[in-house]
Amino acid sequence: MDLKTLPIDSPDARIAVAVLLIPLISAAVIALALRRRGGIAAAISVLAAAAVAVGALQLALAGGRFQASVEWLRFGSFSISLGIRFDDLAALMLSIVGIVGLCVHVFSLTYMADDSAKARYFAGLSVFMFSMIGIVLAENLFMIFVFWELVGFSSYLLINHWFERPAAAAAAKKAFIVNRVGDLGFLLGIVACYWLQGTVSLGELAARAAAGSLIYSRAVPLLLFCGAVGKSAQLPLQVWLPDAMEGPSPVSALIHAATMVAAGIYMLCRIHVLMVPEALNVIAWVGTFTALYAAVCAIPQRDIKKVLAYSTVSQLGYMVAAFGLGRGGAGEGAAMFHLTTHAFFKALLFLGAGSVIYGCHHEQDIFKMGGLRSRMPLTFWTFTIGVAAIIGFPGLAGFFSKDAILALAFENNRAIFALLALTAVLTGFYMVRLWKIVFLGACQSDQAKHAHEGGIALVLPLLALAVLAVLGGYRGLYPHDVFAGVLAEVPEAEGSLQTFLLIASILIVIIGAGAALAFYRPPASGISEDSLERASPGLFGALVVWQQSFDRIYGYYVAKIQQRFAILLNYVDIVGISGIAVRGVAGIAEMAGMGARKVHTGRVSTYVYWFLAGVVVLWAFAAGILSLQR
Amino acid sequence: MHPSLESYVLLSALLFVIGFFGVLLRSNTLVIYMSLELMLVAATLALVAFSQYNGTIDGDVFVFFILTVAAAEVAVGLAIIVALFRRKQTILVSDLDSLKN
Amino acid sequence: MSQILFTLFSLFTVVCAVGVVASKNAVNGAMCLLLCLAGVAGLFVQLHAYLLAFLLLLVYAGAVVALFLFIIMLLDTQGGRAWRFQGLQLAAALVGLGLLLAGLNLLAVRGRLPAPVPVVSAGAPLKNYAYQLFTTYLLPVQVIGFLLLIAMLGVIVLSKRFDAKGEA
Repeated sequence: MDLKTLPIDSPDARIAVAVLLIPLISAAVIALALRRRGGIAAAISVLAAAAVAVGALQLALAGGRFQASVEWLRFGSFSISLGIRFDDLAALMLSIVGIVGLCVHVFSLTYMADDSAKARYFAGLSVFMFSMIGIVLAENLFMIFVFWELVGFSSYLLINHWFERPAAAAAAKKAFIVNRVGDLGFLLGIVACYWLQGTVSLGELAARAAAGSLIYSRAVPLLLFCGAVGKSAQLPLQVWLPDAMEGPSPVSALIHAATMVAAGIYMLCRIHVLMVPEALNVIAWVGTFTALYAAVCAIPQRDIKKVLAYSTVSQLGYMVAAFGLGRGGAGEGAAMFHLTTHAFFKALLFLGAGSVIYGCHHEQDIFKMGGLRSRMPLTFWTFTIGVAAIIGFPGLAGFFSKDAILALAFENNRAIFALLALTAVLTGFYMVRLWKIVFLGACQSDQAKHAHEGGIALVLPLLALAVLAVLGGYRGLYPHDVFAGVLAEVPEAEGSLQTFLLIASILIVIIGAGAALAFYRPPASGISEDSLERASPGLFGALVVWQQSFDRIYGYYVAKIQQRFAILLNYVDIVGISGIAVRGVAGIAEMAGMGARKVHTGRVSTYVYWFLAGVVVLWAFAAGILSLQR
Repeated sequence: MHPSLESYVLLSALLFVIGFFGVLLRSNTLVIYMSLELMLVAATLALVAFSQYNGTIDGDVFVFFILTVAAAEVAVGLAIIVALFRRKQTILVSDLDSLKN
Repeated sequence: MSQILFTLFSLFTVVCAVGVVASKNAVNGAMCLLLCLAGVAGLFVQLHAYLLAFLLLLVYAGAVVALFLFIIMLLDTQGGRAWRFQGLQLAAALVGLGLLLAGLNLLAVRGRLPAPVPVVSAGAPLKNYAYQLFTTYLLPVQVIGFLLLIAMLGVIVLSKRFDAKGEA
């Protein structure tokens, strides 16, 4: 699949650059001029998001596929260029970013209506849109890295939106630092790729792969995968995503569900030409373990957003596993397909959760909700569609994408298939648990009793995403086969395998959902309590420990090992560097100065002695004792 | 029996060194100055000795110039010492330390 | 004979030189300088440089030392101390002594001085001096004249007393 190379000022390229820069301009205008005018800032940001969505769809559906770049820096033989690589993969991702971004922006209009720092929030959203589109359109690994960091920064900005809360500040720091760890591997991978291949341009790498002249190594794809591990919250760097729920719900929807965390998967698909079987194996297993681990973690959660966060980690694990399993394009197809459907239904779920939280006056504990079905019907129905999609209810988007992944797993690695199937059962279990406790049953608190729908700006995005969650799985419905480059690669089971998988999927749904529906009952008295906790405190306690294990390990490492190392380095710095090196050098200069001062005694006799000394030296020269030659 | 050239040169060196020690070790400016003159005289002695033993007259003529220069130098030097005395009321070299440090 | 005379005069000169350097009283020092110059004049005579001997006595002993005495008495010194040995001074003195000995050693062992020529001329007549001064050494004569002029001017300027308004 060759792309045309267009000059940077052709119409298509211009639209792409415009789509990239409009959010940046919006952010700049808000940051510079509209700090206090939240309303206008919100309007500008939403308009920018709308423009981006329109531009993205225009490019994806009507425009051609191309690449364009300009050279930016040149040091001798080393040059860095900035460019756009717009193939089907980028078109698909751009459409997702545009649509989900618009929905989230509209949702934020109401959700953040009485927030005191609205302008900062919308500026942050615009910065994020700019950075994310940058990753999508980037033509070489260097550009991806630059926008990668920008995305991490905007995530920090937005998680930290209510920075007066110490939990939010700590979560933002944690997100950024954990991402940084992954980014170190990413950067090493880029450097190694450049060192090995001589180029970091994706177009160049694709061309070389097609020509068979690519140099393969095991280290480069694994190092680049480190970046995905950090950004997409895979084991062992998944600890930041649940904490990132401190940010507002629309932020969680956009960044930590649909787009930013998916950037890791997207990046993997971009560099798929560099993959070797050993690296793919590692990637597949990391994804599988992540999926299973997160699914187990989600079961004992009380906070509605935390459940969704762990669910996101688990689904990302699915995508990563799918990528790792694939041979010859099937992996990318399956991963991107699931990414697309996941973006729709996860954003829907998060926005629905946002609507619920808004309706219950910012209450996030699910055991204080309940009975919202009658009080918030639209939210209820859209949320139900989202839950059904994620558990793989036949006919909805999630069913098709999950099926594709399970098919891929069944063909390539039975062990992974078993684990992914188990994870699907658990997914059904905890999602239906969430759904039941939040919406069904009786109201557990006054806030739940007075809950109501939030208004058109909250409901409209929910409806739009619900439609996409239903229809998104039917690949035939995508207009003109636009994303054929990606979606055609999605593996489809045939014949007996197809039937087997169909039955297996339905069984998974029934077991998972049925168990949850049956097991979780509202408590007899008004005390909000988890049924599992009530039934078997040991198991519940074990699950909680399972969830906290990573945080505890990291906490121990930081406190005991890293902190001590830091203290040691501090000591070295104070004594060695500033003490000996800096003050020592100054001291030496000072002593030299004092010594030189002492020479000027002002007494004539001293100077005469110096004359004598000079005469001695001259005499030594004359006598041949001292000599300037060897 | 004439004394050899070496003896004259030795004598000249001895006088020179004595004058030098005087410059080094005395603190009275005038005595230092006199020791300086002693050194000059030693140099003239050596010059004359060499001129005699080489049979030329150049050394002698040069002594003329040394004598003249010495006279001029003494005049100016003593004027400076007098001016210094007017300023500092002392002629001891150890007291002349305004350039200290 | 000349050897004895030489020894006598040189001894006399050296003793007086030490007296110049070592005497406590500056006036005593000046007197010793005078005698030292007399000794050197005797040595000059032995070297058949009669004109120079007399010039030495006239100019040096007569004018320079007299000037010294004037200034010593003008400044009314309290009499300085003789030498006192401090650490560094002692070291420097020893270095100087060492240099002297080394120099003498060099002279004795490796000196390439011409073998003592039993001398020669009974002294040059005055005419020779004049001839050299006015032909070969004309330039230095003119320069010396200039130098004397400047020295005179310098002394006049230096010895002016300036009052508070900066006028002489």
